[in-house]
Amino acid sequence: MTGRSAHRVLPTLVLATLVLVLLASPTVVWSGQVRERDPGWTVPPQDDSRSNPLAGRPETAGGGGKVFQQRCASCHGGDGRGTSRAPNLGQADVQAQTDGALFWKISSGNAHTGMPAFSFLPEPQRWQLVLHLRTLSAEP
Amino acid sequence: MLPSRLLGLVMVCVMWAAPSSGAQERAYFVTYDHYLEEPGNLEIAVANTSGFPRGDRPSYNAPWIEIEYGLTGWWTTELYVEGATFSKDGGGFTGWRWEHRFRPLKSEHRINPVLYVEYERINEASRIQKEIIGSGSLSFEPFDELRREQAHELEAKLILSSAVRGWNVSENLIFEKNLSKDEGVELGYAVGVSRPLGTLASGSSCRLCRENFVAGIEAYGGLGSTEERGVRDTRHFLAPVLAWRLTENTTVKFSTGFGLTDTSDPYMVRVGWACEFPIGGRR
Repeated sequence: MTGRSAHRVLPTLVLATLVLVLLASPTVVWSGQVRERDPGWTVPPQDDSRSNPLAGRPETAGGGGKVFQQRCASCHGGDGRGTSRAPNLGQADVQAQTDGALFWKISSGNAHTGMPAFSFLPEPQRWQLVLHLRTLSAEP
Repeated sequence: MLPSRLLGLVMVCVMWAAPSSGAQERAYFVTYDHYLEEPGNLEIAVANTSGFPRGDRPSYNAPWIEIEYGLTGWWTTELYVEGATFSKDGGGFTGWRWEHRFRPLKSEHRINPVLYVEYERINEASRIQKEIIGSGSLSFEPFDELRREQAHELEAKLILSSAVRGWNVSENLIFEKNLSKDEGVELGYAVGVSRPLGTLASGSSCRLCRENFVAGIEAYGGLGSTEERGVRDTRHFLAPVLAWRLTENTTVKFSTGFGLTDTSDPYMVRVGWACEFPIGGRR
């Protein structure tokens, strides 16, 4: 391809990207909207039944609280009560989930709802997060 | 002048008491993993590649700025602006790149694919070496001559990445087409493994805890092109990497690359600094 034809390619690329942005705009939220739940975000049975290896070590929940503030608070709020970006983690339907389910959802994320995958955190830190989530009281 | 401007940007960013954000800043400089920027998060990064070629060829510094934004949970876009200075020669702007990364799968799998597309408008003086492709060594004509050779390039990567027992394992296959010349598609690769140094998080705030560090190693190089089969005269590097999560929203990282072939620079030093700002909502 020649340099001249390359000059024709650039505007096309920019235009194509703008079209993509517009097409994606229903999923791009700049402020103020609460994301919807994804009913298809189901936990595999073998993960759902996993138990927390730190369950007998409540002293490690403090580390979970710190990781929560570092990794989760910007969306779920410092107290876990939710913001416009992510839901309240003290809600009954969250607290009703098993430790294994919470661990799987933290690890796996959900690209459709914008929940990041935290599999880059060491497993013990993800279990610490689960311990911390259990300290959030149920929604009044 | 470019490095001092970059330094100014860094200082502004450091002094900005931004709220924390949770995304992972990858330890690698070249290899991509499957973690995208969080939707609504803006990341500003500055980095530099210093190269030390063989013989009396001039050493160089190549700073760049990255502005990355998470558009959705499955789409991240990033703009690069880059420059270079050659010792005992000159320096200046060398081009820009605009990349997009798409994560097609909703959840985590054993192998997580990400599709990468980038448009580059750079000149032959570009030295950031965010990817190594094709074959042959870098050109060392005077800076101003190299800067006159402009290229429009389209690059695609297949990124595969896994989380395995606390390790990240990533493989990238790179395809690059120079749209300014009638030549084939150049090929390259990057692979990396890394892991956090800590396991359990301590309950107290700390800067130097092991949990704030990620260490690893990456290897990257060229694989010739569709018109020049084979790996003769290709460049390859092995590069240990270390990332330090300095604060809740800033990361610094460091890497020394060792050239493995005669056409590779014997070593390169890379440093980078990144900070993230949650500026929008997400879905």
